[in-house]
Amino acid sequence: MSLDKMKRREFLKVLGWGGVGTTLAGCDMPTTVTVQEGEEEVVAYLAPEEYVIPGIGVWYATTCAQCGSGCGVHGRVREGRVLKLEGNPDSQVNRGKLCQAGQASLQAHYNPDRITAPRVRRNGQLETIGWDQALALLEEKVGPSSGLAGERFAWVTDTVSGHQAVLLKAWMEAVGSRHHYVHEAVNDAVWRAVCRDMLGDENPRLRIDKARVILSFGADFLSTWGSTVQNSARYAEFRTAPRGVLVQAEPKMTVTGANADLWVPVRPGAEGVLALAIANRLAAEHGRDLSKLPADVQQQVRAYDIDKAARITGVSAEHIARIAALLNERAPSLVLAGTPAEGHARGYDNVAAAMLLNIVLGNVGKTLESGAGFPFPQLAAKTGGNRELLDFAAALESKSFDVVFFKGANPVYTAPEALKLKEKLAGVPFKVAFTQFEDETAQQADLVLPLRSMLEDWGTHVPTAQPEQMLISLQQPLMEPLYPETRGFGDALLALLKLRKAPQYAAYDDYYAYLRNAFAALPATLKQGAISDQQFWTRAVQKGVIEVGAGSGSLTARVAAFTVAEPADQGRPYTLVPSAGANLHDGRYANLPWLQELPDPISKVVWDSWAEMHPITAAKIGAKTGDRVRIESDHGAIEAKVYIYKGMHPDAIAVPLGQGHEAYGRYAQGRGVNPLKILGLATETKTGELAHHATRVQVTRIADKVGDKLVKLGGSEAQLGRKLVATVTADVYARTEGEA
Amino acid sequence: MSGIRQLFSGRWSFPGVRIPVGERAGLSSTAGFLALVVALFACAPLAAQAGSTVPNAVPPEGTYSGKDVPQPIEFPHDIHAKINGINCMYCHTYARRSKVAGIPPTSKCMGCHSVIATDKPRIKQLTEYWEKREPPHWLKVHDLPDFVHFTHEKHIKRFVFDNPELPVEQVSEVCAFCHGDIKDMTVAKKQKPLTMGFCRSCHEANNGPFDCWKCHK
Ligand code: SF4
Repeated sequence: MSLDKMKRREFLKVLGWGGVGTTLAGCDMPTTVTVQEGEEEVVAYLAPEEYVIPGIGVWYATTCAQCGSGCGVHGRVREGRVLKLEGNPDSQVNRGKLCQAGQASLQAHYNPDRITAPRVRRNGQLETIGWDQALALLEEKVGPSSGLAGERFAWVTDTVSGHQAVLLKAWMEAVGSRHHYVHEAVNDAVWRAVCRDMLGDENPRLRIDKARVILSFGADFLSTWGSTVQNSARYAEFRTAPRGVLVQAEPKMTVTGANADLWVPVRPGAEGVLALAIANRLAAEHGRDLSKLPADVQQQVRAYDIDKAARITGVSAEHIARIAALLNERAPSLVLAGTPAEGHARGYDNVAAAMLLNIVLGNVGKTLESGAGFPFPQLAAKTGGNRELLDFAAALESKSFDVVFFKGANPVYTAPEALKLKEKLAGVPFKVAFTQFEDETAQQADLVLPLRSMLEDWGTHVPTAQPEQMLISLQQPLMEPLYPETRGFGDALLALLKLRKAPQYAAYDDYYAYLRNAFAALPATLKQGAISDQQFWTRAVQKGVIEVGAGSGSLTARVAAFTVAEPADQGRPYTLVPSAGANLHDGRYANLPWLQELPDPISKVVWDSWAEMHPITAAKIGAKTGDRVRIESDHGAIEAKVYIYKGMHPDAIAVPLGQGHEAYGRYAQGRGVNPLKILGLATETKTGELAHHATRVQVTRIADKVGDKLVKLGGSEAQLGRKLVATVTADVYARTEGEA
Repeated sequence: MSGIRQLFSGRWSFPGVRIPVGERAGLSSTAGFLALVVALFACAPLAAQAGSTVPNAVPPEGTYSGKDVPQPIEFPHDIHAKINGINCMYCHTYARRSKVAGIPPTSKCMGCHSVIATDKPRIKQLTEYWEKREPPHWLKVHDLPDFVHFTHEKHIKRFVFDNPELPVEQVSEVCAFCHGDIKDMTVAKKQKPLTMGFCRSCHEANNGPFDCWKCHK
């Protein structure tokens, strides 16, 4: 409409409808706030690279370094910035998939709390210095002129593999130290020990895909246990027709448990008894021959008929019978045992009893395959558990070290308070942290050296769990470093080595040059089809992985000596389950807001800790959802809000790992609690691992839910008549065979 | 829950308040009324809008009076596009290939200006940048919020390359749909509102895609 056609009265009427905005909208003037002009800069290339088109992303291959699984990554790069990651379909580890932590590694890269320059402790404070000064300080403190004997040096790291591991080992040898502690708070160390003793291979390949029934004693293999993305792909095959059956027995329902066809709550620590009872039933009811087992094992199996076991484990005799029948019917099966079974004084025996089932059922060699035969043992992943943490603390107690290096691990956060690690570390004269963030451990360091992010660095990684075609995965920078004063870990190791063994490593200007040389030195059999070393390298970088063969080796099936113990339940009334989740894992991802924001798959809680308990337990304590409770062990107390859930054993209280950071940046700090802090120091008898699921606690309600609520997605657990899950009574089903 | 706040406190905050043209220009209420009248006039005679000469196309409706944006070099679009008749896509070479049209790289400017008009002050300024190996930091004039997916490529394809009746030499008339009469400007100034209503009017008139997720994905 134009003004000349519009009478004045009409015009005023129009104005009267809703003011100026409405009138303008009628004439297609701005109806929303438009983006401001002249506020943002737009900088063109000085001279563009041939193949770069602004606005169009190019995908490059690299490797995820967020955990030891070593998944292959494709990263989309646009205008020199990496924007999105996906799984690399060429990597048989993850077959094109990526877990949430891999996705969120972008936020570790672009994180506002990254350390951008070296820092040194002066008068108790960390002050920024240049790399020249940092290297000079290293020369003085750890170079030959330091005059320290090799044994006075130690490293504490998380899982390391590839050429970084080679260089680290070379440095250890150069100084003459054996003290490399690989610490992983969430681990499968006891499982590995049992596999080593009973299968002759500490890291067998889990053929989840080949199993027709899986019985898992708390092994959360879809979310936190082992190579989860690889497991998930195999699980998808396991679930395609003929559909495999999953049975999960554990004190707290995990994500894997939530996927199970049958989930049974087990009294914490009674997993071994349950496994023996299943063996008992297999012999008594299904005629399985146990006569070849060692006499004392036969005796233990005989000791637990299903009724007795039901009383001890809290799993009904009927359920035990059903599980045994399933295992008997469907072959091959696979029996796994994870963290809740491992974390007791007799955790090894729990896991061994589970492994016994694999032997009795003939799974060894079928669903458990040898993982041996990786042709480059020096590159293989070096992993560990909590025993290394305890050993490290013991060594600190006896003042064994003058210099300690940290990389990846954050022991000040993951160590129980009772270990007094912080105090013990104070006795170490010089502590160096290689890190991207100022975490709790870096805060104790005397020298903090900023690392590049995984998307800015070179490296090679060997997965902790190799697929059938074994591989080495290549990590390349997807963009220029955001902060020039950061260094790659490989480069840092080379610098340290040059301080010690200059002639041998002097030829390498940087880690890239070292890697190029190492690739050129790989055996010719790997380079078939490549016309030159250059082409072999280019192809490897492009593809992201090099396959090194199928491996070889076979498993033994030998029943090692073990004696299952019944849970004693002494002291305080409940057992604390420090439960790991895929979002925050052992706390290392707590500074990534995507993962804080991602609801826990079971409780749906975000940005916080909670105390998970069975309704019966909650009734005993007198707590409702959202109430605050105090959880007290012999070694301290934590407070959290209650989340009531039936997927718990009534004797257990679960508190998730990962929160309760005192440092580690704005997203992690001061949020929730860290259950590891109140753990006791009891150890697993055979392996010396921390008995992390054996701490007894008292729980008291201290406050109503007020103001600060338990924030979770999905306010209600009821369907509210929405028929989200269709149900039918057994009665109707029997009549209609589900066709109704 | 400060974390949640931190996550969402981006650059884009939409207070839900409509800002009338008068206020935007910082005018008094009477002046605001005048501006309104002017604005109404401006969008009234459709025939006066650029782009009406493009065959098989109905240009989007709406005008906007953008502010002057001072650029590091006062780049004269008129000399290039009008007087010398250089095709827009000669410099904004990515427009037909990508979602962004692209600001020409400094090397492109120097391709001509290492020999042409080297004595002019603006070219001297440009040469300085080039010699310092540093591209000028231009200021964005046309921008869309991050939740809008707009691609130059698809629009150029629809109105130019899939439109045989429009000689490619006249691409500037298509550019003018959203960018106004750039040919007559020195440095660019926003002349079109680039709001959702503006986009819609064109999608409606030209049978463009109408699914929400076409633009909001
Ligand atoms: S499993 Fe580990 S390596 Fe794989 S994507 Fe997740 S964090 Fe990365």
